[in-house]
Amino acid sequence: MSTTTLPAQFAELEQWVADWARPTRQERYDMRLSKKYDQLEEFYDAIAPRAEEAIDYLNGRDLTDLADDDARLLQLLYSMILVSYAVNVFMQPRIPDSGAAFFNTTAEPAV
Amino acid sequence: MTELQQRLATGKGKFTPLYEDLDTGPVSYEDSISPEFFEAEREAVFKRSWLYVGRSERLPRPGTFFTRELKGLASIVVSRRKDGVVNAFHNVCAHRGNKVVWQEHPQEESKGSCREFACKYHGWRYGLDGRVTHVTNEEEFFGLDKDSLRMPPVHCEEFAGFIFVNLAPDPVPLRTYLGDRLLELEAYPFGEMTQHYGFSAPIRGNWKLAVDSVCEWYHPPYVHARFIDKDIAKAEKMVPPPDSYHYDLFTPHMLTSVPGPPPLPPREPGTAGPAARDQKWVYRLFRAGLFGPDDVPDIGPLPEFLNAGNIKSWGNDQFWLFPNLSVQIWARGFYITYTYWPEAVDKHTYDIDLYFVPPKNAQERLAQELIVDSTIEFAMQDVNTIEATQQGLSTRANRQFHLSDQELLIRKFHKTVRDTVAAHGARDAKEG
Ligand code: FES
Ligand SMILES: [Fe+2]
Repeated sequence: MSTTTLPAQFAELEQWVADWARPTRQERYDMRLSKKYDQLEEFYDAIAPRAEEAIDYLNGRDLTDLADDDARLLQLLYSMILVSYAVNVFMQPRIPDSGAAFFNTTAEPAV
Repeated sequence: MTELQQRLATGKGKFTPLYEDLDTGPVSYEDSISPEFFEAEREAVFKRSWLYVGRSERLPRPGTFFTRELKGLASIVVSRRKDGVVNAFHNVCAHRGNKVVWQEHPQEESKGSCREFACKYHGWRYGLDGRVTHVTNEEEFFGLDKDSLRMPPVHCEEFAGFIFVNLAPDPVPLRTYLGDRLLELEAYPFGEMTQHYGFSAPIRGNWKLAVDSVCEWYHPPYVHARFIDKDIAKAEKMVPPPDSYHYDLFTPHMLTSVPGPPPLPPREPGTAGPAARDQKWVYRLFRAGLFGPDDVPDIGPLPEFLNAGNIKSWGNDQFWLFPNLSVQIWARGFYITYTYWPEAVDKHTYDIDLYFVPPKNAQERLAQELIVDSTIEFAMQDVNTIEATQQGLSTRANRQFHLSDQELLIRKFHKTVRDTVAAHGARDAKEG
């Protein structure tokens, strides 16, 4: 019996799904802010080596009609992008000197 | 000079002295901290200018509508009538003044689709043009002229898919207000870019200071240093030289064009290289950066009005539509709007909306995600600077400030606002 909620070839990324396969940018951003810096590094280091393969896999799917498994994989990549600034640019979860600044999402694509 | 700087430099001298109505002296920022000025500005500028309230795509069919809360100005309903025309009216009931169109929370904006609007208080109804269609227990009223009853109309016009309203009783037509230079915008295929991301941030600073922060490229090596290079000395050298930007001031509006890096060359799948903790690798992997996607969508030949200054490595054109809208058309086939809504002298809401051609596959979708995220990460850094500036200015410890040649647009923008306020004040005094 399969226990993965990702496409089979990405089953080893399953442990990241609960936290990071989230449908809205706001949830992904909140997750980034809720983590310790080394947890962000761990997530980034786990996804990044599989990212190119994941893009290639998803390119073969119809973006307007994604299966749930595929959508979760895509969401992991969205999270990787969001986390990449923290890991590669700021070396911390929050943007330095950004204080209380925040942007509410008023519109975003369904997928 | 770095190679990049050499390639982009035009050798042009100074820009500010070319504009006869601009001096080069120090400036006062009293216009951003004085409550009296704020009130005068609201009357002279915001109650009399054409204000952008949303894209036409928000009203795809007759019967679709959205509301806008223009704080301190108006609550308005924008709807598409049966004849397809977009119109706007104040969100106020003719009976006892209840706000007519809202859902759940009266203070929040709403949108939807309907045949008529019904007031939640006593059930009066209004057509999509704001006219009363039903008065509950009409016979109990006294001499009602039902045909004249309505939610008060607001001037509303569409241009290039942008919907504007004007709260003045008798404004100049929108196209006259925009003028020839901006009318050219109509040639751009805005309508194809329906993939929409929207963001809104409350900022504790005057709205004009936020405009200032995107009108110059003097600050990026400092505010955005980490994005450019951790070593500030290197970051300074990576920013194009001041003379590589193009400026055009056509009062009250203005334009600046910005250089940008060329897109990455095409790449075979599987060649991004080993994963690295390096944002350049992320950009390569997702084939995008702050300036757009590497795989530029085909939107036909670019309209001629773009990149009027012939910048060699053109990044974008920013059209500043007075008073509070910037339309940024990027070389790589997408556009962004910035809108600034003042609420108090030291408080405003900053909206950023990004529009792309709908992505055909995951690669394109992810490239757009990266552009959006980069834009917001940069903007968050700017926001705090604005709040810090507001605090510094409001002490009035210093009243004279200094603008360099590359801060030309800021000098011009504040002058235009001050002149508009002064002209309105003079007219008021005369009409007394
Ligand atoms: S206030 Fe709208 S029906 Fe009475
Ligand atoms: Fe900035």
